[in-house]
Amino acid sequence: MINSLLRYGLIFIALILLQLLVMNNIQFSGYVNPYIYVMIILLIPVEISAWLLLIIAFLTGLLIDIFSGSPGMHASATVLAGFVRPFVLRIISPRDGYESGATPSMLTYGFRWYLLYSVIIVVVHHTALFYLEVFRFADFFRTLTRVFLSSLFSVTFILFAEYYRKGR
Amino acid sequence: MRNLLNFLARYHNLIIFIILEGLALYLLTTRNDYHNTRVINGIRAISQNVEARIYTARSYLGLRKVNTNLVEENIDLRNNLERLGRNGGHFFDTLNDQVFDQQYRYKGAEVIGNSVNRQKNFFTLNKGRKDSIDVDMAVATSEGIAGIIVGCSENYSVAMSLLNLDFRVSARIRSNGYFGSLNWDGRNTGQAILSEIPQHAPVIEGDTIETTAYSALFPEGLLIGVISDFEKSGSDFYRITVSLATDFRRLTHVQIIENLRKTEQVELENQFQ
Repeated sequence: MINSLLRYGLIFIALILLQLLVMNNIQFSGYVNPYIYVMIILLIPVEISAWLLLIIAFLTGLLIDIFSGSPGMHASATVLAGFVRPFVLRIISPRDGYESGATPSMLTYGFRWYLLYSVIIVVVHHTALFYLEVFRFADFFRTLTRVFLSSLFSVTFILFAEYYRKGR
Repeated sequence: MRNLLNFLARYHNLIIFIILEGLALYLLTTRNDYHNTRVINGIRAISQNVEARIYTARSYLGLRKVNTNLVEENIDLRNNLERLGRNGGHFFDTLNDQVFDQQYRYKGAEVIGNSVNRQKNFFTLNKGRKDSIDVDMAVATSEGIAGIIVGCSENYSVAMSLLNLDFRVSARIRSNGYFGSLNWDGRNTGQAILSEIPQHAPVIEGDTIETTAYSALFPEGLLIGVISDFEKSGSDFYRITVSLATDFRRLTHVQIIENLRKTEQVELENQFQ
């Protein structure tokens, strides 16, 4: 138990540092801003209670906000992502349900399942985040393009990371 | 209470979500200059839009009143034109020039003091002897007659209101020309009494009452009001209630009317009395 908490803590810190130090500095012509820290929400065990997930999501978002100087922006997007995760898990659940103590991993449920899972959560998160960032509907399609390209990048990263995690 | 607890137990995830999301959005819209400005501008735009709509609706509702005023003004101007035309066709006489046959001179003034709740009411105007205003000039509004100047100082003058028991003016029914004497009975600020109209005269409710030139103060044909009621008084005359055209409760702008030939008329009349 303690061991797994420690492991999660280390992974979270690593993801947040990676986000703040590397990904926040990536600017491909203003269209690609990957936010890979969403993986924190993807990693949390299936059976966690929804309220705890929401609070973890809020705190994660707030942490990113504090360090990137945009109070509330990432927090609202991650809280939304945390809110939809239980519904997503229920909709895409495997035929015989989740085992007790399972984590949503590529190893257990396969590549296609994990791809679907991560794409839904990441797109929800990125959509909320980018539209809150521009805070207007005037540049609707420009923002949509940004959401699409950034999601593509984030999902690719998450899949690689998950693959690496699985390989261990 | 149990229902409330059930509700909270059932929807606690949703409630926590709403609280956290609300908190995040609150932070977003208050702690970021850009988002804050956007929100404030949005609210301002909405409120301005609503205000503009309210203003449009209100001005639309006021159109009836505006229309009535315009029609009245139009009629008034047409009558003036008619009268000027009768005066030998000189429309633009403004000078005190006897050659052009001008009889009345108009001056604008503002009412700066007014009373309607006494038996003898007066109002004060902001023009005085300096503006060549003098005692015994007539005062009218664009709606109808208002009073007579009874006292002047350098800069101010006081007029006896029509709503004064001492006020008397010669008046006639426009449609048939029967004339009598109009005065106020001290009761209703919207009504005056026209007496001395003989009973053989045809009197109809709604007929217009206007001034005559007999008093040498008012020009002929100025509106006083319309007949709202009449009854026989004694065996010879009607007692006619006239509802006044002028609203004395909100006198603001008045015209002071000077009869340039008053002295001539009065002096001539005095020789035979």
